[in-house]
Amino acid sequence: MALILVKYGPSHPVAKLKLETAKEEDRVLLIQNGVYWALEDPSKYTKARVYATKGDFVARGYGEEESKVPLLDYPEVVDLIVENEKFIG
Amino acid sequence: MEKKVLFVAYQSPVGSVWPNEVFRTAFGMYGEDIEPAVLFLDEACVTVSKNTKPELLGLFPLTTCHRLIKRYGTPVYVVKEDLERYNVKEMEEIFNPQILSRVELSDFLHQFDLVIFM
Amino acid sequence: MKITIQVMVPPYSYEDLDTAIKIAEAALDKGHEVTIFLFSDSVLAVNKLVKPVKADRNIPEKLSQLIKEKGLRVEICGICMDYRGVNTDMIIEGSNPSGLPELAELIYTSDRFINLMA
Repeated sequence: MALILVKYGPSHPVAKLKLETAKEEDRVLLIQNGVYWALEDPSKYTKARVYATKGDFVARGYGEEESKVPLLDYPEVVDLIVENEKFIG
Repeated sequence: MEKKVLFVAYQSPVGSVWPNEVFRTAFGMYGEDIEPAVLFLDEACVTVSKNTKPELLGLFPLTTCHRLIKRYGTPVYVVKEDLERYNVKEMEEIFNPQILSRVELSDFLHQFDLVIFM
Repeated sequence: MKITIQVMVPPYSYEDLDTAIKIAEAALDKGHEVTIFLFSDSVLAVNKLVKPVKADRNIPEKLSQLIKEKGLRVEICGICMDYRGVNTDMIIEGSNPSGLPELAELIYTSDRFINLMA
């Protein structure tokens, strides 16, 4: 089970590749411009469970209710890091 | 316990420093119980072309990498579809790259403890 | 738990240093041991001579505060500093010029390694 960090939005080839190659048991964390993925249902672009950083999402002009994935504060981000031994990012 | 670490570049070796930095970082791992490997994606696949020469523009050459890869034998991987897309026909033998197809990437990336994109 | 966060892009142009600082502070508050490793252009983040405008955050000062108050470790790639003309007189107190052997050690000994480049 790996934590996959995605920093870029849907126009970036590496972000797309990371999401496409993620496995069901992986956890994806969308940070910075990666949060633009959160506007879409994650089942359309990845098999993994997806989260996004709340601050990054709200700062880009969206309401929390617009996110299609759970939004995390930084203490919760740290928990996600701790839970996943492997890392892709 | 040994850690398997994959360093990935996706930007061009001419016009960006990242393929060179990927090699430099991978070579720096040998002092610890770490097994480094290198993967070139997208435009970075041009790194393994025999005819790629950043020095023609006065940029830092890849020849230092050639010398060090000969010494360390670090595994280098490239993606078949990228080689075709960027028209890489003749590959630099020193890199001895192993060719993966795009569909193999998911299992390949998950073989490593850490995958570091640069 | 020992957590290392690697940053590669310059402060102020991008958000990576800010993300690293937020993760680091939250992890330190939970009692983890945290190191930020600055590679490539991110080494500019420890230059104490930077003068942001009033409305902006002072990144070197924030790093310095975390070093002093919460025990953050900041390691800097020495060659990357040389390339950018950053010398030891310019860097914030408590940050350490190091290099790839230290990065390899951090990769090997850290329980979690986070890379923010791509």
